[in-house]
Amino acid sequence: MLQLVDALLSSTLDAAPALVFAALGAVLSERAGVVNVGVEGMMRAGAFVAAVAALVMPTPLGVVLGMLAGAALAALHAWLCIRFRADQVVSGMAINLVMLALGTFLLEARFSPNGTPSIEQLTRWGSGVPVLGGHTALTWLALAAPFALHAVIQRTRFGLRLRAAGEKPQAVAAMGVSVSRLRFVAVTCGGLLAGLGGASLSVATLDRFEHNMPAGLGFMAVAAMVFGRWTPLGAAAAAAFFAFGNALRIGLTSSAPQVLEVIPQGVLLALPYLLTLLLLAGQKRGAGKAPAALGTPYDPELR
Amino acid sequence: MRRALPSILSVAVAVGVSFIAAALTLGSVSQTASAFGAMVEGALGDWPRFFETGNATAVLRPIGEAATKAGLLTLTGLSVAVAFRVGLFNIGAQGQMVVGALAAAFIGARLSLPAALHLPLALLAAAAIGSGWALIATALKLWRGVHEVISTIMLNWVAVSLVENWLVVGPLRATASGTNSVSGTAQILPTAELPRVMAESSRLNLGFFLAVALALAVSLWMQRTRAGYESRAVGLAPRAAEAAGISVSRRLFEAMAVSGALAGLAGGVLILGTELKYPATLASPYGFDGIAIALIGQSHPLGALASALFFGALRAGGTHMQLYGVHKSFPELIQGLALLLVAAKLFWERLLKQRIATRTRSPV
Repeated sequence: MLQLVDALLSSTLDAAPALVFAALGAVLSERAGVVNVGVEGMMRAGAFVAAVAALVMPTPLGVVLGMLAGAALAALHAWLCIRFRADQVVSGMAINLVMLALGTFLLEARFSPNGTPSIEQLTRWGSGVPVLGGHTALTWLALAAPFALHAVIQRTRFGLRLRAAGEKPQAVAAMGVSVSRLRFVAVTCGGLLAGLGGASLSVATLDRFEHNMPAGLGFMAVAAMVFGRWTPLGAAAAAAFFAFGNALRIGLTSSAPQVLEVIPQGVLLALPYLLTLLLLAGQKRGAGKAPAALGTPYDPELR
Repeated sequence: MRRALPSILSVAVAVGVSFIAAALTLGSVSQTASAFGAMVEGALGDWPRFFETGNATAVLRPIGEAATKAGLLTLTGLSVAVAFRVGLFNIGAQGQMVVGALAAAFIGARLSLPAALHLPLALLAAAAIGSGWALIATALKLWRGVHEVISTIMLNWVAVSLVENWLVVGPLRATASGTNSVSGTAQILPTAELPRVMAESSRLNLGFFLAVALALAVSLWMQRTRAGYESRAVGLAPRAAEAAGISVSRRLFEAMAVSGALAGLAGGVLILGTELKYPATLASPYGFDGIAIALIGQSHPLGALASALFFGALRAGGTHMQLYGVHKSFPELIQGLALLLVAAKLFWERLLKQRIATRTRSPV
């Protein structure tokens, strides 16, 4: 029994970083007032670039390049939304569509249809340590990052301005701070995190880029963000919970298939989304809501 | 026509950019040119061969394939466009399409009825369940203030998980006959099949014509009826519409119901026209494509039809690019890039205004 719990925890900690980083990236962007449904595409870019870069350079450097790829896409998203007042949802979905097709095209043209060649995974540390041992640095980072982001958002001047840009951008402008620049920085850093989430799929969870990565995890990260009510700690907790659910489902298929005859796998797969919907349906109007200025381009003429 | 200019320019730039990207990746301009040539040939037909040999299949098969894909894209594009017109963003066309497809596969295989009843019933079921799926999001929006973008994203994954990882592999799975292992649901009965138009040479079926007719009907509804006018008013300025005595929530419900029905119908047409059963996975994300189709069509029903025809043709051609080492989803890259460019609203406004300015200034 204890062994089972241990295995479950271990596979949760293995799978959680991707979701946690992506959810944090989405939180960062949306708290500044820019909708980010392009997380899926940014993760795909991060996963692809990290896996390809790690073929020719040390894996950690590949991860950094993967992050930069996510950030580059996010910068494009920010540029379209802030400079050209693009509809933020449209721009995000466009990034998803482009990355889905571009990833498949590059994979097929340069490698094999199914995935890139194997690379050296990130090193796993501390195999002797109970529970937390035997994981990559990304797992440890994923445990610390939510607290770090919480501190930045709640306790620093930059964080206060960032929240203000998402709630009432006019107030930020009245202080003489550029709303556009603030939002640009937030969205781009969000992309950095989404890229890291994607990279952790291809260098830690697996050892290569697979053709369908991240297979909807980006949207699950958005669900985690909503479930966590747009807070770093809430989103990370939701992401970890969803990752645990995934680990449980995969564990059940191999070790206790009889359970899946009672509760079908499809129902378990749908559970994170169903729970998010139920949470949204259950709360009162206006409670635990998204940032007030979310999705509206900043217009200096408005008061 | 003026409103279509941003879309046309965006598509042109997207084709150019994707050509450069492909040439850089493949490392050969001539190979890329051949791949693009194959795409055009696969979309419009091999006319030289037709004139040389008189083999009609060389033209009919590609065109039929293009129209089949265009029909599906038209339906999902219309679905997104209708919702967009009242100011709702229906990202959930994919989920609505999936449940619609399952309904059509179920009715098509499990009921035995005369063809005159069976096919309409299966299509109706697909539309009804797609509509119902969309109404969950509408209800959450109107009663709980949940943004439809979030709820429809969630509903997409709920639909896909429940249908493809439970119903299709579990309760609704076809029973294996003999030694052949089967995947997906049972084959639909011939009475529920959408009749094929050119039975010998192509999979083209009545679904395409249904889609074109619906595009015209939606256009008439939007432009020529009171309900359509009120819906557009709600989309442009909900508070002004409310003040003018328009029931905003009624128009939202109505538009979302139509939107869901169109997406569900796309699923129905896909199953009853080409797939003939619900396969293990519905590999084609026509629902997500609908977003691109609708917006490249400037959210106008006929614009959506035009962009669906264009991208449907490119997609049919995409399969022919495989010969030159280009994945068949390449046209989707063009489509995504075009959407990205169309999205830059302010850029187009400025550009087009500048054009007006230069034109009025020039006579002086």
